[in-house]
Amino acid sequence: MKHRNRWVWLGLAPFALMVIAFQFMPILSMLTGSFRNVGGPGLTLDHYIKIMHSAYYLQAIKNSLLIAAYSSIIGIVVGLICAYSITRFAPVIRDRLLMLSNMTSNFAGVPLAFAYIILLGNNGVFTLLFKQWGWSVFADFNLYSWSGLVLVYVYFQVPLALLLLYPSFYGIRDQWKEAAALLGASPWQFWRTVGLPMLTPAIFGTLGILFANAMGAYATAYALVGGNYNLLAIRIGSMVAGDIVNQPELGSALAVLLALSTLLAVYLNHRMTKRSQLFTAAYASKSSSKRVLSRLTWAKVKEEAL
Amino acid sequence: MMTRLKASWTHRSLMFLLMIYLLIPLLATGLYAFAKDWQTTVLPESWTLEWVGEMFQDLRFLDALWTSLYLCLISVALSLVVMLPAVFVITVYLPRWETFMKGLVVLPYAVPGVVAAVGLIRTYSSGPIDIAGTAYILIGAYFVVILPYMYQGIRNSLLTVSAVELLNAAELLGARRMRAFVTVILPNIWPGVIISTLLSFSVLFGEFVLTNMLVGGHIQTIQVYLYQRVGESGHLASAIAISYFVFILAMSTILMKLGRKINGEVR
Amino acid sequence: MNASYLELKGIRKMFGDTPVLNNVDLSIREGELVTLLGPSGCGKSTLLRCIAGLTELDGGRIMLGKQDLANLPPRSREVGMVFQSYALFPNLTVTENIEYGLKMRGVPKKERLRRCEELLALVDLEDKRGTYPQHLSGGQQQRVALARSLAVQPKVLLLDEPLSALDAKIRKNLRTEIREIQKRLMMTTIFVTHDQEEALTLSDRICIMNKGHIVQDGTPEALYSTPRTEFVARFMGSYNVLTRTDAIRLFGDGIGMAESFAIRPESVRLLSEMESASSIGGKRIVEGKIDSITILGNVIRYSVDAAGVLLTIDILNDGRSLRMEESGTIRLALDPSQLLQLEKEGA
Repeated sequence: MKHRNRWVWLGLAPFALMVIAFQFMPILSMLTGSFRNVGGPGLTLDHYIKIMHSAYYLQAIKNSLLIAAYSSIIGIVVGLICAYSITRFAPVIRDRLLMLSNMTSNFAGVPLAFAYIILLGNNGVFTLLFKQWGWSVFADFNLYSWSGLVLVYVYFQVPLALLLLYPSFYGIRDQWKEAAALLGASPWQFWRTVGLPMLTPAIFGTLGILFANAMGAYATAYALVGGNYNLLAIRIGSMVAGDIVNQPELGSALAVLLALSTLLAVYLNHRMTKRSQLFTAAYASKSSSKRVLSRLTWAKVKEEAL
Repeated sequence: MMTRLKASWTHRSLMFLLMIYLLIPLLATGLYAFAKDWQTTVLPESWTLEWVGEMFQDLRFLDALWTSLYLCLISVALSLVVMLPAVFVITVYLPRWETFMKGLVVLPYAVPGVVAAVGLIRTYSSGPIDIAGTAYILIGAYFVVILPYMYQGIRNSLLTVSAVELLNAAELLGARRMRAFVTVILPNIWPGVIISTLLSFSVLFGEFVLTNMLVGGHIQTIQVYLYQRVGESGHLASAIAISYFVFILAMSTILMKLGRKINGEVR
Repeated sequence: MNASYLELKGIRKMFGDTPVLNNVDLSIREGELVTLLGPSGCGKSTLLRCIAGLTELDGGRIMLGKQDLANLPPRSREVGMVFQSYALFPNLTVTENIEYGLKMRGVPKKERLRRCEELLALVDLEDKRGTYPQHLSGGQQQRVALARSLAVQPKVLLLDEPLSALDAKIRKNLRTEIREIQKRLMMTTIFVTHDQEEALTLSDRICIMNKGHIVQDGTPEALYSTPRTEFVARFMGSYNVLTRTDAIRLFGDGIGMAESFAIRPESVRLLSEMESASSIGGKRIVEGKIDSITILGNVIRYSVDAAGVLLTIDILNDGRSLRMEESGTIRLALDPSQLLQLEKEGA
């Protein structure tokens, strides 16, 4: 027994060390920092109060929340429709479409922002083309503004939503539709009474992930607008210069607020996953653990983890 | 039941639109990398290999590529060495810890990169362990980033091969515990572990936030370098972006092929 | 009384290039329970789905009463269906599932609840009103599914292997229950199954299907006692199917013109040493060697090699049966009047 225990602890020790050093300590340091008096001992809520009274930071928070909400909602609507559509294809084609979507979901951050600059930036290909063709509708469009950011955010939200949502459509079995049809329901009535209610947990769960994803997104916005657009993630990033943090306590407080919002969103996902398991547990196939191996993708791991 | 799926025209055109939407930025980057003159036409007017050539002659690019490669390799190798025994121990001997592990694995998602960076810099920029701005802090941060992928991958592999039963069988046949792990468990979970390793590698290769904030001034990875070039030469940046993407694409193709092969064997 | 209520004429269906239903004709009287019996892939479930409108026909007509169903969508056909996998809506309670069809038809709440109570009583699930389907046992789920399809008072009830997913004991109970409910409501019912015992105990009439045809139909008694083809003989019980050569070897000449014959395992008798051939007039005595003995509970099944023909023989296990050993020799009494002539397949 003793012998076995030694092996167990030996196996766990490096792991515990790494997790404590690079996961728990930073979070703890950030938390305590956000409540610490500048240059002195004692606890304080000053930094949070300061943020709440600063129009500048409040605007950053508001902008972040809005852009996250808009891009997630657009993402989920498009993703939902496309996810349904994709389940209507034969498995071979479906897998190819999914592969393409998965591939483009790797295309995020700096390269993505850059691609949009090529397309729609001040001297972008489309910008110039539209100008030449005289499509004035697009003349007011500015990639480096709110609408441009939403456009780019939606781009990385859609494939994620699609990849997270499409499996739940397979949870809606054709026999339910058939049974409903025989009982006199129109397709629309079926979706309203059975289909959508069955999907609701998955929809809200995915919405949680999308929201957290957009709240925390930094690279895309940073590469696109630099410090020119007031977002929470950008504000936090701008406080880090080189390897030190300017106004570390305030930065910590902002970071805590951002983490709170994403944690909340992820928690929503967690609850919703539990809920949907209530419905689907009885029907879930036992082979799912095997399938995971082959589909071990970014989105899949994310889904599994939550 | 023999039901054949044949998608209707609505679904086909919808998917067509989606694919165009998703692929256009990629295509544009690709075209831009080979375009000589591209102003007011749908497709470039003339082509050139100049940008790609310039990229490979750029010592800073090659440097950045090399830095990215070895940083990612070291991080993934470290993660493998640390995670394999830990996940094995937890899955086989301490299944009650799995709830805790699940919570732990969610954290890297729930805590965005900017937030993690602030915490890391605060912890390590002063005090006994001053490693801010060095590769050490970055490798530590990378370890946390790929934690979920490694944990899920190893755990799923262990569950798929029924590690506990395998181990019991090996021990009943007289193998010592360590020997059983090395001779029976490892060879069986290896394919699954390779997949999560490759996946982790490609995730780290695309990492920008932590890299830029933690060590951006000192160490240039491919993403940081790309960011710096975006402002200078669009065509060159395109060439870099597209070669990065081709690399990721190759990785995911290998991943998929491997996954399929393993799945075939399991069945 | 004899007028058909549901009439299928020349039903055809192809999946790709394979015909699944090949000119199927069937007529069913009001209140009758007809079973479609056959091996998997014989087209029985497809036929059911065609009647429900869930699968499109390639040809043929379906008349229900005076109405042609062919061009109606499923929801206008007034046909109820129970699926093998129950297909209950998991997000709705038992009551909500049962009243679903009434709700879709715009029946007022009060009336819906009254109907619901009736049906809950009918399927004996009054204490499960507010339960969600996934908290019910398989048998209970199937009873809810039955109640749900009966709630809208369909003209025809279709049951697609409703009992296959249940374990043996529940299957037998629910089988009886379904039959009782069907009789009480005088519900015209088509029951699909691959289990011949189920079909025999349940049906007014059985249609045996094979390769997209109805190969024989009739009352359970008729089908069991006089199978017309080899397929039916093999499917309905453990009939001994004999080629013409085998039959002549056992029964001698003068057995009719058919190419193949069948004899039921329980119609062959084993003779003890003491019994003389004279005590059993009109039968042929053949000597055989016992190949194997299997106890099936109330029946002992012998496999006997008689004149080079392997015969299965069932003897009632009443404790008085003969003590015999494997590879011992035995005499068999064969009754030529029990020998059935079979038609060619597909005739």
